[in-house]
Amino acid sequence: MSEDLTPIPPASCVVVSGGSRGLGLALVQDILGRGARVAAFARSVTPELAALAAEHPEEVYVEAVDITDVRAVEAFVRAAGNRLGPIDALVNNAAAGQDSLLVHTAPDRIASLIETNLTAPLLLTRAVLRRMLAGGRRGRIVMITSVCAQRGYSGLVVYAAAKGALEAAARTLAREMHGRALVNCVAPGFFASEMSSALGSEQLDTITRRTPSGRLVEPTDIVPLVRTLLFEDTNLNGQVLTVDGGSSI
Amino acid sequence: MSLLTRNDIRGLMAEVVAAQGKRLPDDDGALLRDIGFRSLDFSELALRVEDDIGHELNFDAPGLRQIASVGDVLEFLDSLQRM
Ligand SMILES: NC(=O)c1ccc[n+]([C@@H]2O[C@H](COP(=O)([O-])OP(=O)(O)OC[C@H]3O[C@@H](n4cnc5c(N)ncnc54)[C@H](OP(=O)(O)O)[C@@H]3O)[C@@H](O)[C@H]2O)c1
Repeated sequence: MSEDLTPIPPASCVVVSGGSRGLGLALVQDILGRGARVAAFARSVTPELAALAAEHPEEVYVEAVDITDVRAVEAFVRAAGNRLGPIDALVNNAAAGQDSLLVHTAPDRIASLIETNLTAPLLLTRAVLRRMLAGGRRGRIVMITSVCAQRGYSGLVVYAAAKGALEAAARTLAREMHGRALVNCVAPGFFASEMSSALGSEQLDTITRRTPSGRLVEPTDIVPLVRTLLFEDTNLNGQVLTVDGGSSI
Repeated sequence: MSLLTRNDIRGLMAEVVAAQGKRLPDDDGALLRDIGFRSLDFSELALRVEDDIGHELNFDAPGLRQIASVGDVLEFLDSLQRM
């Protein structure tokens, strides 16, 4: 393909990791609502995700896949492309949370957090980009990172290290993919989900108190930003958009 | 290495508290807030227990948030070393 300097087109077929619940499910619904096709996976397919696939068999492809299983992830990307057509976007959303001081986190738990939250998203990104490039297409990658990649929060050392590394990777990839892909991150503050359910009400109150907008983030605050990065012609590239009500300023 | 008794753990806790120039109350119901025993003091105590029993006691933070009294600390570490 000769160098194409026109804007990268809106996403038409998006892979969403961790699309079974929480933010991931909201993203799957939104992408579908925009008329794009979507391939989503998680370790288990929830009834909500299964219902979407049953209602929209031509537009939605879902499977139970563990993101740390490299072969299964590659097979999923291939199968999704065969079912839905060429993939031109990825939202790296699946992640595992942490709530333990580094000194009390077992070495194998540290390795597993890095594998799920950093190595696996990089390998998934690689798989999607390889197919995109091989097909001569251009596309968009969105990493869901976290405000804790930029600010310190106790109990999240390994998780934060992985999210910070993803942000660094996104910047580097934005340059490396030189016009073939827009690569950006959305970094949410804390929002209610299974991942953050370990936070006590006292901690949630403290976070809310320290948030200038006065309210915690909700998936409905995050979804429009991802939508913009997937579908709009903004020329945003290699950036981190933080959505946290201003708590990190 | 063998497990520590509740009293052994209390002894280690008294050492951590003494290093800060304070005395550990005899009452298990004494509140950590009143003694000024903070979460990293708990970490220090857990690491001392690990040294004595010869294996790591890893744990998540939510369990720690329930701990309010000296007795809670002893209970938590005692059950952790048995897991
Ligand atoms: N919640 C927050 O406060 C918060 C704040 C900042 C950033 N974030 C980020 O926002 C994103 C979404 O988080 P959330 O709060 O919506 O989390 P969540 O409710 O726990 O959902 C996580 C999703 O990822 C999937 N997943 C987890 N481990 C997986 C694995 N090994 N393989 C495949 N899928 C896996 C889960 O499904 P299975 O368990 O079935 O696999 C689920 O679909 C994550 O990247 C998270 O780091 C969250």
